[in-house]
Amino acid sequence: MIDLTTLTPLINGLSVLLISAGAFFFLAGTVGLLRLPDLHSRLHALTKADNLGLGLVVLGVLPRVPDVLYGIKLLLLWIMVLVAGATGAHLIAKRALRGEGEPR
Amino acid sequence: MDEFYIGAALLLLLTMAGGLVRVAVGPSPADRMMAAQLLGSSGIGILLLLAAALGIPALFDVALIFALLAVINVAAFTRRRVDEGSGA
Amino acid sequence: METMLLLFDALLLLTTIPLALVTVTSPEPRRAVMLFIAFTLTLALIWARLAAPDVALAEAAVGAGLGGALMLAAARRAARVSAADTALYGGTPPTADRGTDDRQA
Repeated sequence: MIDLTTLTPLINGLSVLLISAGAFFFLAGTVGLLRLPDLHSRLHALTKADNLGLGLVVLGVLPRVPDVLYGIKLLLLWIMVLVAGATGAHLIAKRALRGEGEPR
Repeated sequence: MDEFYIGAALLLLLTMAGGLVRVAVGPSPADRMMAAQLLGSSGIGILLLLAAALGIPALFDVALIFALLAVINVAAFTRRRVDEGSGA
Repeated sequence: METMLLLFDALLLLTTIPLALVTVTSPEPRRAVMLFIAFTLTLALIWARLAAPDVALAEAAVGAGLGGALMLAAARRAARVSAADTALYGGTPPTADRGTDDRQA
């Protein structure tokens, strides 16, 4: 059994790295949402921020959870966001492509 | 370490404020909906970081509810209108 | 830590209050509903920041989840009814461009 306290700086550094990467993806997604010219390229930028950014933030927060149950909950949250984000983006794109009675 | 979490949450809140501009001006409803989806995701990120920094584990559950309601809203938004064409 | 939290709260207020004003003054129903959903998200963040996770939970679930979905359906129906009224009682035909981009013809 190794001493876990010696690992703390390593885990903290990893956490900082992961959360910084996640925040960068959120930043990139928002810039894309604001600056890209049409709906489908904006949707493309958005899904990167959703899936990857949130996933990296979840992994970065994971060492700070109070017990294992919360860790599992966080991972399940990420999986749900992945599935829902992919499905939702697909539905929105299809709806926009077909017009569905609204101006494009 | 807590400082860093709050700082990251601050950055995510800034991106959330930027996304709000797209919700307000977005030319089509689909634009608004997907901007609202991004807002939900960054809201989840902020809640996770706040839960870790402030030491309130119940905020993880709030983040879970945020993820759920994003699904509900997208489903309500993209629902096909079955009675389309039959008048009001 | 304290100054960071103060900055966080200030930014949260600075986004929530203008968002509420834009939501209330929005003339078009569907735009108002989507802005309301975004507003509820920031409001839930405020409750979380006030260390009231249970209230934040209720706010997120009822305000944005159920309320948002119900109001989206209601706004869609309202747009359709007002277009039908215009067709019945004269005025510009519902297919014409009426200046608002979200109006359903």
